[in-house]
Amino acid sequence: MAHAATHDHHDDHHGAPTNFFTRWCMSTNHKDIGTLYLIFSLAAFFVGGSFAMVIRAELFKPGMQLVQPYFFNEMTTMHALVMIFGAIMPAFVGLGNWMIPLMIGAPDMALPRMNNLSFWILPFAFALLLSTLFMPGGSPAGGWTMYPPLSLQTGSLAYAVFAIHLMGISSIMGAINIIATILNMRAPGMDLLKMPVFVWSWLITAFLLIAVMPVLAGAVTMLLTDKYFGTSFFNAAGGGDPVLYQHIFWFFGHPEVYIMILPAFGIISEIVPTFARKPIFGYKAMVFAIAAIAFLSFIVWAHHMFAVGLPLGAEIFFMYATMLISVPTGIKVFNWVSTMWGGSMTFETPMLFAIAFIILFTIGGFSGLMLALVPADFQYHDTYFVVAHFHYVLVTGAAFAIMAATYYWLPKWTGHMYSETWGKVHFWSSVISVNVLFFPQHFLGLAGMPRRIPDYNVAFANFNMISSIGGFWFGASQLIFLGVIIHAVWFSKKKATDRVWEGAKGLEWTVPSPAPFHTFELPPVIRDEELAHGHVED
Amino acid sequence: MTQQAGKFDQEARRKGVRRTAWAVGAVAVAIFLYSILSMLKLS
Repeated sequence: MAHAATHDHHDDHHGAPTNFFTRWCMSTNHKDIGTLYLIFSLAAFFVGGSFAMVIRAELFKPGMQLVQPYFFNEMTTMHALVMIFGAIMPAFVGLGNWMIPLMIGAPDMALPRMNNLSFWILPFAFALLLSTLFMPGGSPAGGWTMYPPLSLQTGSLAYAVFAIHLMGISSIMGAINIIATILNMRAPGMDLLKMPVFVWSWLITAFLLIAVMPVLAGAVTMLLTDKYFGTSFFNAAGGGDPVLYQHIFWFFGHPEVYIMILPAFGIISEIVPTFARKPIFGYKAMVFAIAAIAFLSFIVWAHHMFAVGLPLGAEIFFMYATMLISVPTGIKVFNWVSTMWGGSMTFETPMLFAIAFIILFTIGGFSGLMLALVPADFQYHDTYFVVAHFHYVLVTGAAFAIMAATYYWLPKWTGHMYSETWGKVHFWSSVISVNVLFFPQHFLGLAGMPRRIPDYNVAFANFNMISSIGGFWFGASQLIFLGVIIHAVWFSKKKATDRVWEGAKGLEWTVPSPAPFHTFELPPVIRDEELAHGHVED
Repeated sequence: MTQQAGKFDQEARRKGVRRTAWAVGAVAVAIFLYSILSMLKLS
């Protein structure tokens, strides 16, 4: 154990400021800032989830039921923005903050004060974004993609754009911090190809963020100047081109999808070996597959735009490039399954979520492959099939990975075991309800139901009602998740051991549970056989 | 994992962090400016 390099006793708050404001508002500690990110993302998850409940309640039956059409459009737009920028991304940043320094033997993030700033920008950005709901004219309602000319009709565009700028600045600073930490703060002996896959996934994700968040900032800045400063970047009447916005937006938007899934791949690559009690199968292949997916993410953006009238050559290129992504993704799924193969497996809650991730994310991947086919996409475009696809990727993919990670590392964070029984209740309730919620949406899409509509043909009534029941059930299931976390943090009497899980390997398990306020003030020495992926051949 | 601390140069680490942060930050700013300036068409 590495207590000599960290702490020799379980004084978890040693060195932490006692004043609440100083500790949480002025924190430069990676664990506290990680906790803040995770709490923020959980709050955003419930805010965005409540918007989803409004959407599913309205769609429970055909006809206008509960809300005005414009408010419905506000809900679809804000649900996406809050979930993407408020729930999924900050959750991964929180997990990275907590775990990356622990996994590479660093005492903290490389730039702790910038870390504080990165987090504290977010609540203000979201207060600004959510405040548009209460403004005359309402919040943005043209979809999270904010395509012009529709988005230019939004009165509160300037507020939304400023909020997006703030979120972008926060993400870019977070990415700079993660890159600087991983490249400079690793313990001696922690070579790049000895790092845990989660750390690798975050390093590559951080480079994606650096490459594409400024492009989003540029795109929304041009929207702003088109609306308020008389430019015509996207205004056809002034010589501009609205399709240009779509190209710029999706040059950001597609890598953004991978920003939300690559850290999830890293999490699953940590959890599966632990509960299979085997090193990850094909460590290097896993790392190179992540890098390959990241590279390919830059040359597939126009598959979101097949229906705008691209030249045939472009459609064929983007179709094949998109289908190519299934190769490295298939490598990853194959390696997770191979890691489990012949392993001494147990099925604690993190492993259940990880297995559900592998199966259900693959369903989302297959429907993505269907959408990549140009002729088929002309039928599927802007239907509920697309909604089903990206929710399989982002809910049973990204969100399930975050839940898996929460159960996996919660004992390390809090020093207490969560309730395994209630964790499993949460899992089974979520995994059944999420399929009731999203699987029928494939059928709705194939039958021709458009997305982003508050009313629909009676032919779609049955599947919509089933989907809404699944939605309410899935939403209620997340209250169990909240209860399990609250119980583990404040009420659980079962102390966590340092290693927590029998098969867990890696530096983070060598520090006490809960992890002390300061860890690895002196860097540890790395031994290959103790790493999660075992000895890596050169 | 280990009982003893490894050796490392604190000052070199600081310099490395600063260099990385400035380089990556400059790339981000450059991409932002390029994404707008490359779209400009003044008549």
